Amino acid sequence: MAAIDPLVRELSQIVGPDAVLYRREDLIAYECDGYTVRKQPPRAVVFPSCTAEVSAVVKHLHERHIPFIPRGAGTGLSGGAIPLGGEVIISLVRMKRLLHVDYENRLAVVEPGFVNLKLTNAVAAKGYYYAPDPSSQYACTIGGNVAENAGGAHCLKYGVTTNHVLGLEVVLADGEIVEIGGVPDTPGYDLLGLLTGSEGTLGIVTKITVRILKNPEGKKTVLAYFDSVEEASRAVSDIVAAGIVPAALEMMDKTAIEGVEAGNYPVGHPKGLEALLLIEVDGISAGIDDQIARIVEVCQNRNVSEVKVAASEEERARWWANRKTAFPAMGAISPDYLVQDGVIPRSRLPEVLEKISRISARSGLRIANVFHAGDGNLHPLILFDARIPGETERAVQVGSEVLKACADAGGSITGEHGVGIEKKEEMRYIFTDEEIAAQIGIRDVFNPQNLLNPDKLFPKPGRCAEMRTAPGEAR
Amino acid sequence: MSAPATKSHYLWEDPPDEEKYSACVHCGLCLESCPTYLETGHEQQSPRGRVHLIKAVAEGKIPLSPGFEQPVFTCLDCRACETACPSGVQVGSLIEAARGQIRKAMPLTGWRALLHAVFLRGVFPHPSRLFALGKLMKLYQRSGLQALARKTGLLNLLPGHLQAMERVVPAVPDPVMKRYPEVIPAQGTPRGRVALLTGCVMDVLFGDINEATVRVLTRNGYEVVVPRDQRCCGALHIHAGDREQGKILARRNIDAFLHARVDSVIVNAAGCGCALKEYPELLQNDPAYREKAVQFAEKVADISKFLAAHGYEKPTGRVEARVAYHDACHLAHGQGIRAEPRQLLREIPGVAWVEMPLADRCCGSAGIYNLTHPEMAGKILDEKMKAVPEQADIIAMGNPGCMLQMMMGVHRHGRTQRVVHTVQLLDWAYQREAAPQEERGM
Ligand SMILES: Cc1cc2nc3c(=O)[nH]c(=O)nc-3n(C[C@H](O)[C@H](O)[C@H](O)COP(=O)(O)OP(=O)(O)OC[C@H]3O[C@@H](n4cnc5c(N)ncnc54)[C@H](O)[C@@H]3O)c2cc1C
Ligand code: SF4
Ligand code: SF4
Repeated sequence: MAAIDPLVRELSQIVGPDAVLYRREDLIAYECDGYTVRKQPPRAVVFPSCTAEVSAVVKHLHERHIPFIPRGAGTGLSGGAIPLGGEVIISLVRMKRLLHVDYENRLAVVEPGFVNLKLTNAVAAKGYYYAPDPSSQYACTIGGNVAENAGGAHCLKYGVTTNHVLGLEVVLADGEIVEIGGVPDTPGYDLLGLLTGSEGTLGIVTKITVRILKNPEGKKTVLAYFDSVEEASRAVSDIVAAGIVPAALEMMDKTAIEGVEAGNYPVGHPKGLEALLLIEVDGISAGIDDQIARIVEVCQNRNVSEVKVAASEEERARWWANRKTAFPAMGAISPDYLVQDGVIPRSRLPEVLEKISRISARSGLRIANVFHAGDGNLHPLILFDARIPGETERAVQVGSEVLKACADAGGSITGEHGVGIEKKEEMRYIFTDEEIAAQIGIRDVFNPQNLLNPDKLFPKPGRCAEMRTAPGEAR
Repeated sequence: MSAPATKSHYLWEDPPDEEKYSACVHCGLCLESCPTYLETGHEQQSPRGRVHLIKAVAEGKIPLSPGFEQPVFTCLDCRACETACPSGVQVGSLIEAARGQIRKAMPLTGWRALLHAVFLRGVFPHPSRLFALGKLMKLYQRSGLQALARKTGLLNLLPGHLQAMERVVPAVPDPVMKRYPEVIPAQGTPRGRVALLTGCVMDVLFGDINEATVRVLTRNGYEVVVPRDQRCCGALHIHAGDREQGKILARRNIDAFLHARVDSVIVNAAGCGCALKEYPELLQNDPAYREKAVQFAEKVADISKFLAAHGYEKPTGRVEARVAYHDACHLAHGQGIRAEPRQLLREIPGVAWVEMPLADRCCGSAGIYNLTHPEMAGKILDEKMKAVPEQADIIAMGNPGCMLQMMMGVHRHGRTQRVVHTVQLLDWAYQREAAPQEERGM
């Protein structure tokens, strides 16, 4: 057996022996996150239990030039928490307390490992909730949400994570602890905005102050079945054009419906559907019925084959569980999937979906489409079997082509899942070399030695002359 | 099923099924359902991590090593992850198969080997020895030896978890198998013929529950057969990775119950019910028993589900008590039975329902888990006890293992709740129809 890495003993002295993993089998469990196309075990995994321990661990690693990666629940879909070689993973899951709820000022303070859904559960009794609701909310951490600027079905109306973060405590790449935000409208640069969505490359989030919202007075949910993807897509545009702002406006196509019906949370959708829309409106009770009536009318104008309103809270919950578990439900019809995360202008939905279906036909890989239609955030799920030689590479290639199609339509390569290691090269579809170099310049201010989640987010220099700026010059 | 990977370290019969682990897409949505992950925060102690490692062994990335054994055996086999998993991954079945492989590669040593040899192979498969053990217990309890042992501190010689168990083991009544004839006639208009799985632990430690089950069934017009040839269901063996013994017991039971020519095989222990229903999987490569196993499994029914499905006489006797319900993992997650026992309890006159939060979170009993992993089981029990409502008088459930564990929890946390089986409450209600004043306000 290989001798134990001396680093393990050193880290154990900081966090205690039960808070460091180093056995080969244990490390294998950390070789990937929700993105499984690339795998690499970390050098060790360490579980700090408070900010001071995070800081001490980071200082220790920084002094020794050892790279490290923060990790939450590991549900990320772009490989942000996957090591590329030699990194220590700093897992935040033992920092999972809800520290404080202030109902008067409508905010909550949580540790980074606190699970998203638990916040809503904790404040529900008083009639509040936490709005950002990624479909992974049963498991993902709020720290991970901040790092990815996570969105969710209800972000159409309520905004993504960045719109709900009021303050952060962050451990910087050298171990220094800083507080940002916390007061309304902090003067100076919007550092909160910069940190949120930085994918763990600018600092490790150790405490988060978020907004909590009062439950809407009323809520109604509609399920609409279509015989044509095109008609369903047009209905999406029409709903928004009619001036309605639904809380959520989700779409699934035929293959996606096949997947969710084969999974653990089927609804019993009729067979042979081409597309369905799941639409929710909320707000003051008075206006809701009127909005529902207009949505039903729009769908009827687009030849909806069936449209119904959830008859009970139980039915509504079933529809949502079916939608929210759509990605993993694909496991029931395919051994592996790669989920993409393109964004396009809503009006171009039919055209881009058509393009995606051509890419699918050409590659021979099935693609299921599940998406936040309301904000044009597509999640094409490329179905493949990693056991077949060459198929993983083909899936990755197809993913890239899909993102190209989105970028060409005037959109973006990621709506909410982040760039991670997956979409580094695709950054070039939307940024010039200079623009990328400028962003790397910003990273270098916070993370000058590229020790903190190294080599994520940006393509390797080479094709572009990376203008590595010294921290002093970057300003 | 595709051919196993050539690099696989699974060299023995019944390896984890590739189709089953391939269904896992590594999404992590199961993490928060897993008691051992919640306790440790360690990925390898989560369903996703365990399935990932099971796959890694098949891919030849890691051997059947202690580092693999530990997470696989720390699993409670509670199946909460199966309820959570959108992709329908059968984690329990994968874990059991992996354990089988591990036990082949790394046979037990030390006190665990002794425990296994004495209890799993030596006692449980043999009814006569089980009853002898039961008799010893009774002797111990009745002779004053128990009091003496407690007083003198002799018990302190036992490991902590056994001491704790000793304190809560109920007064042992005689097993039903001994006291009743093989066929017990129905009362009133006959509605059918069923068999009762008496269960090994159930009959020895909780003979009164079997008795209650018999009374409830006969009262509702069922002729009850208690096949003498039945054996322990084998769940404990399969959980421990001893698939061979599990298969031997399974075959015995299939023969015994099919021979009894009954409409249904009634089970009042969730863990056993789950194991019986999984005989077809256990024996899928056994040409002589494959079909019989399917035929048998179709007859197996949990008592609460059976009563709900076939209807039963609603009791008019009252049980004045505030009742909370704990979902045994192998009922809720293993067999999808949640509503039926609740419905049954709530329909008993006098019962005031107390909602228990996280009712389907494991109590840490998990077969002999509380003996093999006392520390983890203890922590999980402590979490469970936090959720037990103070105001409840009774905690009802459908599994003897859980009952022992919860009794231990009540004892350890200085609580007052009485731990009972669902069917016992129904039985009491029936009994009180005759003597309505008896035992009020317990
Ligand atoms: C089934 C499924 C559905 C999903 N649905 C959605 C969806 O609807 N919307 C959406 O936006 N995303 C979705 N995701 C993606 C994922 O859940 C989110 O990106 C989530 O925010 C990741 O959180 P995590 O705790 O799992 O983070 P991880 O995966 O552990 O980490 C993600 C990234 O954040 C960094 N990080 C983690 N914690 C910290 C911290 N404390 N400080 C600094 N950096 C940190 C990591 O280094 C990594 O780069 C889904 C994923 C799955 C598997
Ligand atoms: S077991 Fe199911 S829920 Fe857990 S990671 Fe695998 S697919 Fe996801
Ligand atoms: S069976 Fe229970 S303990 Fe085992 S992995 Fe699943 S949830 Fe965890």
